[in-house]
Amino acid sequence: MNKLTSQQRKLMYLIGIIVLLIPIIQLSLPADGKKNPGGWLSQLRTKYDLGESDLGDVDASGAAINLVLLGMRGVAVNLLWIEMDQQKDMKRWAEMQATTESIVRLQPHYEKVWDINGWNLAYNTSAEWDAVPDRYYWVKQGEKLLKRGVARNKRSTELYYRAGKVLQHKIGYADESVDYRKYFLSDPDPAFNGGPDPEINPDGKDNFLAAKDWFLESCERETTRPQHILDRSLFRATPARCQFDYAAGLQKDGRFGEETRAAWELARQDWTEKYGREIFHAVIGPDESDIRMEMTEDDVKQIAKTPDDELRVRRAVDQYQKMVNYAYWRMRAFAEAEPDTAEAHRNFFEAKQAFKAQEFEKARASAFSGMEAFDKLFKRPEYKNLVDEELLTEECMLGWKIWDDIHQIAQEKVPEDFPLKWLVEMKITNDSIMKQVNKQFKRLFLDSR
Amino acid sequence: MSQSEAVIEIRNLSKVYRDFWGRPKVKALNALSLDIRKGEVFGLLGPNGSGKTTTMKLLLGLLFPTEGEITILGKSAADVSKNERIGYLPEESYLYRFLNAYETLDFYGRLFDMSAAERKERSEKLLDLVKLAPQARRRQLKEYSKGMTRRIGVAQALINDPDLVMLDEPTSGLDPLGNRDMKDLILDLKKQGKTVLMCSHLLADVQDVCDRIAILYGGELKVMGRVDELLKAQDETQILSSKLSDAAVKDVQEVLKKHGANVLKIDHPTANLEDLFLKTVQESRERPGHRTVIEGKSAS
Amino acid sequence: MYFDPNENLIYPLYALSNWVLTTGGLMFVVLFVSLANLLVTRGKSGVGVFFAEIRGMISDVFSISPRRIWALTRLTFMEAYRRKALAVFVVFAVMFMFAGWFMGDTQEITPDQVKVYVSFVLTSISWLTLPVVLILCCFGIPEDIRLRSIHTIVTKPARRIEIVLGRMIGVSMIGVLVLLVMGTVGYIWIVRQTPERSQKFLVCRVPQYGGIKFINRDGDEGTGVNVGDIWAFRNYIEGATKARAVWQFRNVDESVLDADGNLQLENSFSAFRSYKGDMTRSLFYDIKFYNPENGVSYTTDPQPVNEFRSKLDKIPRKLTVDDVQYDLIKDLVTKNKFLHVEIACIDREQYIGMARPDLFIRMPNRPFWVGYWKAVLGIGLIVVLVSMIGVAASTIVKGPIATVLTFVLYVLSGKNSHQFMDALMSGDFKGGGVLESIYRLVTHMNPTTDLPETPAFYVVKGFDLILTSFLWLCKQVIPRLQSFNMTEFVANGFDVPFNVSILPSLLVTTAFIIPCVMLGYFALRVRELESK
Repeated sequence: MNKLTSQQRKLMYLIGIIVLLIPIIQLSLPADGKKNPGGWLSQLRTKYDLGESDLGDVDASGAAINLVLLGMRGVAVNLLWIEMDQQKDMKRWAEMQATTESIVRLQPHYEKVWDINGWNLAYNTSAEWDAVPDRYYWVKQGEKLLKRGVARNKRSTELYYRAGKVLQHKIGYADESVDYRKYFLSDPDPAFNGGPDPEINPDGKDNFLAAKDWFLESCERETTRPQHILDRSLFRATPARCQFDYAAGLQKDGRFGEETRAAWELARQDWTEKYGREIFHAVIGPDESDIRMEMTEDDVKQIAKTPDDELRVRRAVDQYQKMVNYAYWRMRAFAEAEPDTAEAHRNFFEAKQAFKAQEFEKARASAFSGMEAFDKLFKRPEYKNLVDEELLTEECMLGWKIWDDIHQIAQEKVPEDFPLKWLVEMKITNDSIMKQVNKQFKRLFLDSR
Repeated sequence: MSQSEAVIEIRNLSKVYRDFWGRPKVKALNALSLDIRKGEVFGLLGPNGSGKTTTMKLLLGLLFPTEGEITILGKSAADVSKNERIGYLPEESYLYRFLNAYETLDFYGRLFDMSAAERKERSEKLLDLVKLAPQARRRQLKEYSKGMTRRIGVAQALINDPDLVMLDEPTSGLDPLGNRDMKDLILDLKKQGKTVLMCSHLLADVQDVCDRIAILYGGELKVMGRVDELLKAQDETQILSSKLSDAAVKDVQEVLKKHGANVLKIDHPTANLEDLFLKTVQESRERPGHRTVIEGKSAS
Repeated sequence: MYFDPNENLIYPLYALSNWVLTTGGLMFVVLFVSLANLLVTRGKSGVGVFFAEIRGMISDVFSISPRRIWALTRLTFMEAYRRKALAVFVVFAVMFMFAGWFMGDTQEITPDQVKVYVSFVLTSISWLTLPVVLILCCFGIPEDIRLRSIHTIVTKPARRIEIVLGRMIGVSMIGVLVLLVMGTVGYIWIVRQTPERSQKFLVCRVPQYGGIKFINRDGDEGTGVNVGDIWAFRNYIEGATKARAVWQFRNVDESVLDADGNLQLENSFSAFRSYKGDMTRSLFYDIKFYNPENGVSYTTDPQPVNEFRSKLDKIPRKLTVDDVQYDLIKDLVTKNKFLHVEIACIDREQYIGMARPDLFIRMPNRPFWVGYWKAVLGIGLIVVLVSMIGVAASTIVKGPIATVLTFVLYVLSGKNSHQFMDALMSGDFKGGGVLESIYRLVTHMNPTTDLPETPAFYVVKGFDLILTSFLWLCKQVIPRLQSFNMTEFVANGFDVPFNVSILPSLLVTTAFIIPCVMLGYFALRVRELESK
C-alpha cells in the first residue's frame, strides 16, 4: 500500500465504493410507482406483499421507535421478552401487559408475537386470577390484543383463527364458560352498563357466533395464505363447528324454541351444503384429486375413471370424513333440526326442572314424552347411529332415571314396557355413561332437597 | 544588571519520549543545564523540534523529566504551589472557547483564589493592557481572531501579577502592530522587575527584547550568552554607512587592503541573530557536540 | 405486594462496617493500581514517586480552596450549557408528548395503570438524564487534555484534586438540575394524566411490617407450602387445617390506630385452589388476635381474599368476645407492645399465600409527592455516583472508552447482574467457567454431565477458578445499585422507607467518593497531560 501515492489510494477507495454500491443499489433501490419495479428487495417485497402498508394499518409510533432504535430492535426486543418473562414469574400483570405492549409495537408484523401474547393474556394470565370477573377481564385483554394484531396484519390467516379461537374455546369451553358466555353479552364491568364490551363484541352477539365470524374471515384468507395450525379439513370446518356450538349452547341454556331449531338448521346447512361441498386435494393412487365430504354418485364418477378408482375415491372420502367426524355431525344436525327433536329436548329439560321443584307428576309426564320422542327418533333408520352419541344417550338415560325414580318415590311399579327400554338395557352396563348420569342425577336430587 | 538570584535552575535535564511499549522513541532533550536569573528576559531559540517547548513544559510540570533536576522559584517543578507566582502563555491559546473574555479572566482569577473585587479590577486592567477592543470582551472566544486570542492569552497569563512569566511563541500569529505591542509589553514586564522566559523562532523578536539567549538544536544546548556579546565577539568588523557609489566602494576596499584586512563581503546589513542562528544550525549539523557559551564577564 | 420491600434492609452497625470495608477496599485497589503503574513506567524510582504523591495528595487535601473548586464546577456547568447539552429536554418533551400512545387508554384508570405511569415517568427520566451525565463526565477531562486547555489550569495553583472534584460536582449538579426539571414535569404529567376520580390512587401508604412465621397443617412450626410458583416469595397455608401464618408486630400502641380508633390491617394475600370448586365464591381467611400473656383472643369473621389487589381490614378498638368487652390495645397487645396476629384459610383443600410484607399495619398516608421526590432522589444518587465514576475513569482513559467503561459498570451494578455473578461464583450455574463452558458448547456436552477426570480438565478447571476469582475481585469494585431504585415503592403506592432504600443508597454513594477522587488525583498526577 505504501507504494501508492495518496492520489492513487483515493482512486482505489473510489473504485471500491462504486463496486460496493452496485450490489447495494441492485438490492435496495426503492420502487417508484409502476414504472420502476425497484431493486431486488423491493421486488421481493411486492411479490410477497410485505410492504408496510400492504400488511395492515400502519402504526406510526411503533414505526418511529423502530427508526430511533437504529437497527438495535432485535436487542431491545430480546430484553423486553426477558423482562416480560420475569414479570410473569413475579405475577406483576400490569407491568407484564405494558411490556407486551412495547413488544407488539416493536414487532408488529411478526404474527407469532401477537399469537403468543394474546394466548398468554387470555389463557395463562386469566387462570392466575381467582375471581371469575377478573379472569374474564384478562380473557378480554387477550382477545383485544389479537384483534389489534389482526388489524396490523390483515392478510394473516392464523391471527384471524386465533381471535376466533379465544371466543370459541376460552369463553365457550372453559370451566367458567357459563359465566364467561353471560359476561360476553353483559360485561361485569359497570362501565358498560350491563351491555357487552363493544371492543370485542360490538354487535352483542353470542360468543360462538362472534367466533364464527372470525373463522369465516380466516377461511377466506386461507385460500391464498395457507395456515399451519390444523389439518386443512379440520380448519375449514371451524365456522360450521361454531354454529354447532352455538346451537348446543342454546340448548344448554334451556332454550328449545324455534330459535334453537333454526340454529340447528343453519348448522346443518353450514355443515352439509357449505363445508360438505368444500374441495380438498386428496392423493388417490398416483394422482391428486379434488374430493368433497359430500359426494354424489356423479361427483365420484367424474373423477374416477375405473371401478378401482371409484373404490379409492370412496375410501379417501371416508378417511376425510372420519378425521372430522363428519357423519356424526351430519346426522346430529339433521336430527336436531327436526321439530320433534327440539320438543324432545324440551321435555327432558322440563322434567329436570319439575323434579328439582319436587313436582313429581309433572316431571314424570315430561320425562315420558321425552322418552317417547327420542324412541321414535332413534328408530328412524337415518338416525340409528345416534345411539353411539354419548351426550345424547346420557340425556336420555337421565330422563329415564327421573321417570324411573319417580315411580319408586310414588311406590308404584315401573311398567313392563316403556319407550327407550332397549336403550336402557343396552347402556345400563356402560360404566362411563352411567357414572355421568348418576352424578347428574345426584345433583338434581340434592337440589330438590 | 544584577545576576544574583537564579529563578530557574536546570541541571542535566533530559527527556526521552517513549512509545506505547515503553521503548525510547525520541530523545527530546539531552543533559540541558542552565540558569535563568531574576529580572532578566531569557530567550530560548531553536528550530522546530529542538526541545524549546519540551523544556518549558518540563519547567511547568506538564512533562516529567527522564533525568535531571529542576528548581523553579526555589521549588520542584512538580510542586503546584510554585504556580502562584508563574504566568504561562501556551504556544497556542488553549483557552475555553465557550467563555468570553471576562469569564475567562474571572475563571483563572478564581483559580488563584482571588476575591471577586480583585478579579474584576484585575480583568479590566489587563484587558486594557493587552488592548482588547471593548466590544469584543463579551463575545465568546470561539469568535476571536488569532491576534485577539493571543491577547486574551497574555491577559490570563498575567492575571496573578506573576514574578516569572513564561511565554511560548508570544508573537506568533500577531500582525506587525500586535508584534510591537507584545515586545513593548515584555520590556515593560522587565521594567517591573519580572523575570521572563520566552521561546521563539522569530529571531527579530528575541534580538529586540532578550537579555540572554540559548539556542537549542536536537535537544542540545548549542549557544548561550548575552545577545550583544554573542553578536559582537567575532573577528569581523561591519561597516555601516549611507549608500555608497561603486567608486566609493572601490576606494574603501583600497583603504582596507592597505591595512592588511581581507574584504569578505560588502552588502546591506542583515539581522545578525539570524546569521548566528543559521550558522549555529549549520555547524550543529556538521559538527555535532560543539557548543559555544559566552557568558557575561561577571559570570565567569 | 409484588416486590420485596425489605430486600435491601440494612442494620446500622453492619452498614457502617460494610461502608468502611468498601471504601477501604476501593482505596486499596486504587493505591495498588497506582503503585503498579508507577513501577512499570518509572522503574525503581516509582516507589519514591508513589510516596511523594501520597504526601502530595494529603497536603493537597489541606490546601483545597472552595473557590477554585467552585470555579471548576462553574466551568463544567457553562461548558455543558454553552455546548447545548441541555437539548436533552427536547427529547424529554417529545417523549412525553407521545407517551400517551404507549400508555393505553386513559378512560379506565386502575391502580395498575397508575403503577405503569409512575414507572414510566421515573424510568424515562433516569434513562434521559444518565446519558447526558455519562457524556459530560466522561468527555470533560479527556477533551481538556486533547485541546490542552488543561495546561492553562494545571499551570495555575489549581490542585489535581480540585480539578477532579470540580468536575464531579459540576456534572452532578447538571444531572441534578436536569433531574429536578424533568421530575417536576413528570410529576405534573402523572397528576394530569390521572383523572379526578382516580387521584385517590396517588398516595404513599406507610406500612408497619411485622415478623412472620408459619405453622404447618399439624400445628408445628414450619415454612408453609410451596405451590410451585417460580418466584418463591410467598408460602401458602392450607385451609381448614392447623396451618397458620403468624405475624408479630412491635411497638403497637394507640398511635397506630386511625382517626376513628380502628386498627387498619392491609393485606395482599394470594389464592391458590387445588380444585376449582365454586369459582364464583372467593376463598376466605380470618384474622385472630391473641395475647399469650392473658389468654385473650379475638377472631374476625371470614374475609374474602382479593387476589392481586390490596385489601384493607379495619379492626375496631372495642371488641366483643362472648359478651365480654375487650380493648384491642389494652387487652390484646402484650406488655412489651407486641401484637400477635394469626391468619387462617377457611376453605378445605384450598390455599392462601403470603410473605412477610403481605400483611402490615397501615399508618396514616403521606402525600404522593413525598414518595415521588424520594424516588427522584434515588435517581439523583445514581447520577452522582455515575458522575464520580465517570470522571475518575476519564482521568485514565479517553472519553469514549471512559463512557463505555462507566456505562458497563452501571449496567453490571444492577440486581440481576449481581445475582448472576454470585451464581457464577458459587457454582450454582451448571456448566462451569469460561473454558469449561466453551468445551461444553463445542462438544454439545450436557451441563449435567461431569467432565472427564483427566489432567487436562484439571487444568481447565484450575484456569476457570483463577478467572472466577478475578471475577470475585471485580465484583467487589462494582457498586450495588439495587437499593437506588425506589420506583417500585412509589409505583406500588408506598412511601420510600429510609433504612431500606435511602440510607443504603447514600452509603454506597459516599463509599465511592474517596476512592474515586483518589483515583482521579493519581491519574492526573502520574500521567503527562499531553494528548498522545
